Amino acid sequence: MPDHTSNGMQCHEFDLLLSDALDGVLTGADLDRFQAHAQGCTACGPLFAEAEAGRSWLKGLTEVEPPASLVNNILASTTGVDTQRLRTTVRSAQPQVSWLERMQASISGFIEPVWETVRQPRFAMSFGMAFFALSVGLTVLGVKPGDVRGLLNLRPSDIRHTYYATQARVVRYVDNVRPVLQLQAAIHGVKRSLNPAEPGPTKSKSKDNKNDTTQQPDQKQERNYSQTDNHLILASAPMGPSLLCCDLSVVSVTTHRRFV
Amino acid sequence: MEDVQVVAMLVRRCIAGDAAAWEEIVQTYNRRIYNICYRFAGSGDDAEDLTQEVFIKMYRTLSSYDHTKGAFVTWVTTITRNLLVDHFRKTKQDRMTDSMDTAASEHEDAQPLSEQIPDQKPTPDAHVRSREVGETVHQALGKLSPELREAVILRDLQDMDYKEIASVLRVPEGTVKSRINRGRAELARLLQRTYRQVM
Repeated sequence: MPDHTSNGMQCHEFDLLLSDALDGVLTGADLDRFQAHAQGCTACGPLFAEAEAGRSWLKGLTEVEPPASLVNNILASTTGVDTQRLRTTVRSAQPQVSWLERMQASISGFIEPVWETVRQPRFAMSFGMAFFALSVGLTVLGVKPGDVRGLLNLRPSDIRHTYYATQARVVRYVDNVRPVLQLQAAIHGVKRSLNPAEPGPTKSKSKDNKNDTTQQPDQKQERNYSQTDNHLILASAPMGPSLLCCDLSVVSVTTHRRFV
Repeated sequence: MEDVQVVAMLVRRCIAGDAAAWEEIVQTYNRRIYNICYRFAGSGDDAEDLTQEVFIKMYRTLSSYDHTKGAFVTWVTTITRNLLVDHFRKTKQDRMTDSMDTAASEHEDAQPLSEQIPDQKPTPDAHVRSREVGETVHQALGKLSPELREAVILRDLQDMDYKEIASVLRVPEGTVKSRINRGRAELARLLQRTYRQVM
């Protein structure tokens, strides 16, 4: 800055008073001399205007907001005591998921692929037609939604009432059926006493094979043996002493067939 | 700005190991320090790193603070300024940074710094918006020499008085005033030329 005198003030002095003048603290004779020098000096006049403009530019700058994590980072890097709080903050920042939401998420993960398939037009049309047919059928049969609601009533008092009503129906049914059963038993006894010599169709079988109640082994043996021509007679022959004495040979034939 | 006794008590509690006192100090001064670093370094990431470094240094040297020698905010600002100077030296920004005066005197043929500021706002209406203007001023501030930049930041952005600035910068008050005036004037010249080009 050129240092020359203008209006009783040197440029060096003007430079020192420039800040005070811009701050508004320069008053009285100093202010008059300052203004006179600013008007007369070709170097200091523009300097005053530029300094004033620069000051207004800077005053227009606003404070910037520090990052939200700055304080936590500082505390963690200095004392380290805030790392726990930092972790807590990070944990709390994550959305808390309830067990219901987790269950819904897992179920939706299972259902979603199925739902994607079902949403295809052909499946949707099929389900629509099925629902329509079901609703028409129920309407024709006279089933009302109120009836279904009554069946699905799960209140404890209603369940108890249903239990007792069902029990009463069963008791009434048994009481009604008992005379009929007694009558049938009596008729059966009379028939048996009237025809004592008539052999029953199952009597001979039960005598031949007392321990067998299902008749399955006989049928099975018959099926197996009937598949070989050599023992066709044995399979169809009535069981007697001759057959019983040949049990060993029959078993050996069967075993041979299995290994062949 | 601060009650000396309250701050002194806070510092004593902090030295005694009171974590809550240290947290209160961090909560009180982090915004101020971050803004100084941001305006000086020019980048948010650098400002965040520098702010953390300032607090680390402050935490280690807190016992050296003597409230009878000066305000705590001056002490904090001095630490910040020293770290900024170190950072400036490390990043070699002084090779890229120049002032209008040196550009005119030493590089007569060189392009003026005002013309080096990128013209990012093509229409005059865009400059009306305060955010864009603020960004332009911030860029122009980064073009000032570090001595002028720190002086105007402490005075016009942090509202420190000349005595405190002189204490932080360790220069006489007259030098502080001169730097502030030159810094303001140079900034205005940079911005005027930028806007004149746009207009």
